[in-house]
Amino acid sequence: MSAHLDPIFESPLGGLSHEGNISIHDLTKRHRWGLRGKGAAETLRIQGWDIPEQPNRLVASKNETFVMALSQREFWVLDPHNDTAALAMSNDFTRDAYPLFCQSSHAWLVLKGCQTSALMAKVCGVDLRPEAFKVGDVAQTQMALISCIIVRHELAGNDVFSIFVDQSYGEYVLEALLDARREFL
Amino acid sequence: MKIMTCPLNGPRNISEFVYGGQVKAMPNSQNVSDADWAHYVFYEKNDVGVVLEWWMHSPSSYWFIAERHNATDEIIRTYPADELFKQRVDFVPDEGAS
Repeated sequence: MSAHLDPIFESPLGGLSHEGNISIHDLTKRHRWGLRGKGAAETLRIQGWDIPEQPNRLVASKNETFVMALSQREFWVLDPHNDTAALAMSNDFTRDAYPLFCQSSHAWLVLKGCQTSALMAKVCGVDLRPEAFKVGDVAQTQMALISCIIVRHELAGNDVFSIFVDQSYGEYVLEALLDARREFL
Repeated sequence: MKIMTCPLNGPRNISEFVYGGQVKAMPNSQNVSDADWAHYVFYEKNDVGVVLEWWMHSPSSYWFIAERHNATDEIIRTYPADELFKQRVDFVPDEGAS
Protein backbone atom coordinates (compact mmCIF):
# COMPACT_ATOMS: atom_id res chain seq x y z
CA MET A 1 0.00 0.00 0.00
CA SER A 2 1.26 3.46 -0.83
CA ALA A 3 2.66 5.51 2.01
CA HIS A 4 0.69 8.47 0.62
CA LEU A 5 -2.67 6.76 0.66
CA ASP A 6 -5.47 8.30 2.68
CA PRO A 7 -7.41 6.09 5.01
CA ILE A 8 -11.02 5.72 3.90
CA PHE A 9 -13.01 7.60 6.49
CA GLU A 10 -16.58 7.01 7.48
CA SER A 11 -18.85 9.57 5.90
CA PRO A 12 -20.53 12.07 8.24
CA LEU A 13 -23.53 11.71 5.91
CA GLY A 14 -23.85 8.00 6.56
CA GLY A 15 -23.28 6.97 2.94
CA LEU A 16 -27.04 7.18 2.38
CA SER A 17 -29.05 7.64 -0.80
CA HIS A 18 -32.14 9.84 -0.82
CA GLU A 19 -34.32 8.57 -3.64
CA GLY A 20 -36.88 10.61 -5.58
CA ASN A 21 -37.34 12.37 -8.93
CA ILE A 22 -34.03 13.90 -8.03
CA SER A 23 -31.99 11.50 -5.98
CA ILE A 24 -29.07 12.54 -3.80
CA HIS A 25 -26.34 10.01 -3.11
CA ASP A 26 -23.49 10.27 -0.62
CA LEU A 27 -20.26 9.08 -2.27
CA THR A 28 -17.99 10.51 0.41
CA LYS A 29 -16.52 7.09 1.17
CA ARG A 30 -15.70 6.42 -2.46
CA HIS A 31 -12.04 6.65 -3.28
CA ARG A 32 -10.29 9.78 -4.61
CA TRP A 33 -6.91 11.45 -4.43
CA GLY A 34 -5.13 14.38 -6.01
CA LEU A 35 -1.84 15.84 -7.12
CA ARG A 36 -0.70 19.44 -7.21
CA GLY A 37 2.43 21.07 -8.58
CA LYS A 38 4.26 21.99 -11.74
CA GLY A 39 4.95 18.33 -12.47
CA ALA A 40 1.47 17.01 -11.59
CA ALA A 41 0.22 16.65 -15.19
CA GLU A 42 3.40 14.95 -16.33
CA THR A 43 3.39 12.59 -13.35
CA LEU A 44 -0.18 11.50 -14.11
CA ARG A 45 0.56 11.03 -17.81
CA ILE A 46 3.57 8.83 -17.00
CA GLN A 47 1.32 6.74 -14.75
CA GLY A 48 -1.10 6.19 -17.64
CA TRP A 49 -3.95 8.52 -16.67
CA ASP A 50 -5.89 10.43 -19.28
CA ILE A 51 -5.98 14.05 -18.17
CA PRO A 52 -8.05 17.06 -19.35
CA GLU A 53 -6.30 19.52 -21.64
CA GLN A 54 -7.89 22.53 -19.97
CA PRO A 55 -8.46 23.50 -16.33
CA ASN A 56 -12.02 23.11 -15.02
CA ARG A 57 -12.64 20.01 -17.12
CA LEU A 58 -13.07 16.34 -16.30
CA VAL A 59 -12.35 13.30 -18.49
CA ALA A 60 -13.04 9.61 -18.09
CA SER A 61 -9.83 7.67 -17.52
CA LYS A 62 -8.78 4.08 -16.97
CA ASN A 63 -10.86 1.56 -15.00
CA GLU A 64 -14.03 3.71 -14.90
CA THR A 65 -12.35 6.53 -13.05
CA PHE A 66 -12.38 10.24 -13.80
CA VAL A 67 -9.58 12.79 -13.76
CA MET A 68 -10.57 16.35 -12.95
CA ALA A 69 -8.33 19.37 -13.63
CA LEU A 70 -8.88 22.20 -11.16
CA SER A 71 -6.01 24.26 -12.60
CA GLN A 72 -3.05 23.57 -14.82
CA ARG A 73 -1.25 22.29 -11.75
CA GLU A 74 -3.95 20.53 -9.75
CA PHE A 75 -5.70 17.26 -10.58
CA TRP A 76 -8.06 14.94 -8.73
CA VAL A 77 -8.59 11.28 -9.58
CA LEU A 78 -12.14 10.14 -8.76
CA ASP A 79 -13.03 6.50 -8.34
CA PRO A 80 -16.82 6.47 -7.81
CA HIS A 81 -17.16 2.69 -7.97
CA ASN A 82 -14.79 1.80 -5.16
CA ASP A 83 -14.74 2.55 -1.50
CA THR A 84 -11.50 0.68 -1.17
CA ALA A 85 -8.21 1.87 -2.50
CA ALA A 86 -8.36 -0.20 -5.68
CA LEU A 87 -6.47 2.50 -7.55
CA ALA A 88 -4.07 3.71 -4.95
CA MET A 89 -2.19 6.93 -5.37
CA SER A 90 1.27 6.13 -6.59
CA ASN A 91 4.14 7.34 -4.47
CA ASP A 92 6.26 7.67 -7.57
CA PHE A 93 6.34 11.46 -7.54
CA THR A 94 8.60 13.84 -9.28
CA ARG A 95 9.83 16.61 -7.02
CA ASP A 96 7.30 19.02 -8.50
CA ALA A 97 4.16 17.04 -7.65
CA TYR A 98 2.63 16.83 -4.22
CA PRO A 99 -0.23 14.64 -3.00
CA LEU A 100 -3.62 16.15 -2.16
CA PHE A 101 -5.70 14.35 0.40
CA CYS A 102 -9.13 15.21 -0.98
CA GLN A 103 -10.43 11.91 0.39
CA SER A 104 -10.44 13.31 3.88
CA SER A 105 -10.89 17.02 3.11
CA HIS A 106 -14.07 16.93 1.02
CA ALA A 107 -17.52 15.37 1.13
CA TRP A 108 -18.86 14.03 -2.20
CA LEU A 109 -22.52 14.21 -3.12
CA VAL A 110 -24.09 13.10 -6.41
CA LEU A 111 -27.36 14.47 -7.80
CA LYS A 112 -29.26 12.38 -10.32
CA GLY A 113 -32.54 13.09 -12.10
CA CYS A 114 -34.07 15.09 -14.91
CA GLN A 115 -34.45 18.39 -13.04
CA THR A 116 -31.11 18.65 -11.31
CA SER A 117 -30.20 21.89 -13.14
CA ALA A 118 -33.41 23.54 -11.91
CA LEU A 119 -32.67 22.41 -8.37
CA MET A 120 -29.12 23.71 -8.52
CA ALA A 121 -30.35 27.08 -9.83
CA LYS A 122 -31.96 27.58 -6.40
CA VAL A 123 -28.66 27.31 -4.55
CA CYS A 124 -25.94 28.32 -7.05
CA GLY A 125 -25.45 31.41 -9.24
CA VAL A 126 -23.59 29.64 -12.08
CA ASP A 127 -25.65 28.61 -15.12
CA LEU A 128 -25.61 24.81 -14.83
CA ARG A 129 -28.18 24.06 -17.54
CA PRO A 130 -26.99 21.38 -19.99
CA GLU A 131 -26.63 23.87 -22.87
CA ALA A 132 -24.29 26.08 -20.81
CA PHE A 133 -22.62 23.50 -18.56
CA LYS A 134 -21.79 20.45 -20.59
CA VAL A 135 -20.69 16.95 -19.65
CA GLY A 136 -17.13 17.24 -18.36
CA ASP A 137 -17.45 20.86 -17.24
CA VAL A 138 -16.25 21.80 -13.76
CA ALA A 139 -17.27 24.91 -11.79
CA GLN A 140 -15.36 26.02 -8.73
CA THR A 141 -17.86 28.35 -7.17
CA GLN A 142 -20.23 28.75 -4.22
CA MET A 143 -23.51 27.03 -3.47
CA ALA A 144 -25.70 27.85 -0.49
CA LEU A 145 -23.03 30.45 0.39
CA ILE A 146 -20.12 28.02 0.77
CA SER A 147 -17.27 27.10 -1.57
CA CYS A 148 -17.77 24.01 -3.67
CA ILE A 149 -16.71 22.16 -6.81
CA ILE A 150 -19.54 21.14 -9.15
CA VAL A 151 -19.00 18.71 -12.04
CA ARG A 152 -21.38 17.39 -14.68
CA HIS A 153 -20.47 13.88 -15.81
CA GLU A 154 -21.89 10.50 -16.69
CA LEU A 155 -22.14 7.87 -14.02
CA ALA A 156 -23.52 4.42 -14.78
CA GLY A 157 -25.32 5.79 -17.83
CA ASN A 158 -26.85 8.75 -15.98
CA ASP A 159 -26.17 12.45 -16.39
CA VAL A 160 -25.25 13.55 -12.86
CA PHE A 161 -23.78 16.41 -10.87
CA SER A 162 -20.97 15.60 -8.48
CA ILE A 163 -20.60 18.16 -5.72
CA PHE A 164 -17.54 18.43 -3.51
CA VAL A 165 -17.63 20.55 -0.37
CA ASP A 166 -15.44 20.84 2.67
CA GLN A 167 -16.08 17.74 4.78
CA SER A 168 -17.32 19.84 7.69
CA TYR A 169 -20.05 21.37 5.50
CA GLY A 170 -21.32 17.99 4.27
CA GLU A 171 -24.39 17.82 6.49
CA TYR A 172 -25.27 21.46 5.86
CA VAL A 173 -25.13 21.03 2.08
CA LEU A 174 -27.12 17.81 2.21
CA GLU A 175 -29.82 19.58 4.21
CA ALA A 176 -29.81 22.52 1.77
CA LEU A 177 -30.19 20.14 -1.19
CA LEU A 178 -32.94 18.11 0.49
CA ASP A 179 -34.78 21.35 1.26
CA ALA A 180 -34.32 22.69 -2.28
CA ARG A 181 -35.62 19.51 -3.92
CA ARG A 182 -38.92 19.47 -1.98
CA GLU A 183 -40.75 21.22 -4.80
CA PHE A 184 -39.54 18.61 -7.29
CA LEU A 185 -40.72 15.55 -5.38
CA MET B 1 -25.10 41.55 -8.26
CA LYS B 2 -21.54 42.66 -8.99
CA ILE B 3 -19.58 40.31 -11.21
CA MET B 4 -15.81 39.87 -11.39
CA THR B 5 -14.09 37.78 -14.06
CA CYS B 6 -11.60 35.29 -12.69
CA PRO B 7 -8.89 34.45 -15.28
CA LEU B 8 -9.20 30.75 -14.34
CA ASN B 9 -12.91 30.33 -13.60
CA GLY B 10 -14.69 33.03 -15.60
CA PRO B 11 -17.35 35.50 -14.40
CA ARG B 12 -18.38 34.96 -10.80
CA ASN B 13 -20.30 36.76 -8.06
CA ILE B 14 -18.04 39.28 -6.29
CA SER B 15 -18.80 37.50 -3.00
CA GLU B 16 -16.55 34.65 -4.19
CA PHE B 17 -13.49 36.94 -4.20
CA VAL B 18 -11.11 38.13 -1.51
CA TYR B 19 -9.05 41.32 -1.77
CA GLY B 20 -5.30 40.82 -1.30
CA GLY B 21 -3.82 44.33 -1.32
CA GLN B 22 -2.03 46.48 -3.87
CA VAL B 23 0.54 45.07 -6.25
CA LYS B 24 3.83 46.67 -5.26
CA ALA B 25 7.42 46.29 -6.42
CA MET B 26 9.25 44.24 -3.80
CA PRO B 27 12.63 45.62 -2.71
CA ASN B 28 15.62 43.31 -2.80
CA SER B 29 15.42 41.44 0.50
CA GLN B 30 19.22 41.08 0.61
CA ASN B 31 20.06 44.76 0.96
CA VAL B 32 16.87 46.55 1.99
CA SER B 33 16.74 48.44 5.29
CA ASP B 34 14.26 47.39 7.97
CA ALA B 35 12.40 50.70 7.52
CA ASP B 36 12.04 50.23 3.77
CA TRP B 37 10.91 46.61 4.22
CA ALA B 38 8.32 47.68 6.78
CA HIS B 39 7.15 50.39 4.38
CA TYR B 40 6.78 47.77 1.63
CA VAL B 41 4.84 45.40 3.86
CA PHE B 42 2.55 47.80 5.71
CA TYR B 43 2.01 50.92 3.59
CA GLU B 44 -0.10 51.44 0.50
CA LYS B 45 -0.25 54.48 -1.73
CA ASN B 46 -3.98 55.11 -1.48
CA ASP B 47 -4.05 57.21 -4.66
CA VAL B 48 -7.35 57.68 -6.44
CA GLY B 49 -7.42 56.18 -9.91
CA VAL B 50 -6.72 52.90 -11.64
CA VAL B 51 -4.75 50.62 -9.32
CA LEU B 52 -3.25 47.15 -9.60
CA GLU B 53 -4.51 44.79 -6.95
CA TRP B 54 -4.16 41.18 -5.83
CA TRP B 55 -7.44 39.28 -5.67
CA MET B 56 -8.19 35.65 -4.87
CA HIS B 57 -11.05 33.50 -6.14
CA SER B 58 -11.84 31.82 -2.85
CA PRO B 59 -13.45 28.50 -4.00
CA SER B 60 -10.40 27.68 -6.12
CA SER B 61 -7.76 29.56 -4.05
CA TYR B 62 -6.57 31.17 -7.30
CA TRP B 63 -4.62 34.43 -6.96
CA PHE B 64 -4.61 36.88 -9.84
CA ILE B 65 -4.24 40.58 -10.62
CA ALA B 66 -7.01 43.08 -11.25
CA GLU B 67 -6.87 46.61 -12.65
CA ARG B 68 -9.59 48.50 -10.81
CA HIS B 69 -10.58 52.13 -10.49
CA ASN B 70 -10.77 52.56 -6.74
CA ALA B 71 -13.22 55.50 -6.89
CA THR B 72 -15.75 54.19 -9.41
CA ASP B 73 -15.09 50.52 -8.50
CA GLU B 74 -14.96 49.68 -12.19
CA ILE B 75 -12.95 46.51 -12.81
CA ILE B 76 -11.04 47.20 -16.02
CA ARG B 77 -9.12 43.97 -16.49
CA THR B 78 -8.14 40.82 -14.66
CA TYR B 79 -5.25 38.55 -15.62
CA PRO B 80 -2.99 35.77 -14.29
CA ALA B 81 -0.14 36.89 -12.04
CA ASP B 82 2.45 35.33 -14.33
CA GLU B 83 1.86 38.17 -16.82
CA LEU B 84 3.69 40.41 -14.35
CA PHE B 85 5.78 37.99 -12.34
CA LYS B 86 7.95 35.87 -14.62
CA GLN B 87 10.36 34.52 -12.06
CA ARG B 88 10.07 32.82 -8.72
CA VAL B 89 11.64 34.77 -5.83
CA ASP B 90 13.62 32.58 -3.47
CA PHE B 91 14.53 34.12 -0.14
CA VAL B 92 18.07 33.33 0.89
CA PRO B 93 18.85 33.37 4.62
CA ASP B 94 21.21 36.09 5.82
CA GLU B 95 24.79 34.90 6.06
CA GLY B 96 25.07 36.47 9.49
CA ALA B 97 21.84 34.95 10.78
CA SER B 98 22.13 31.94 13.08
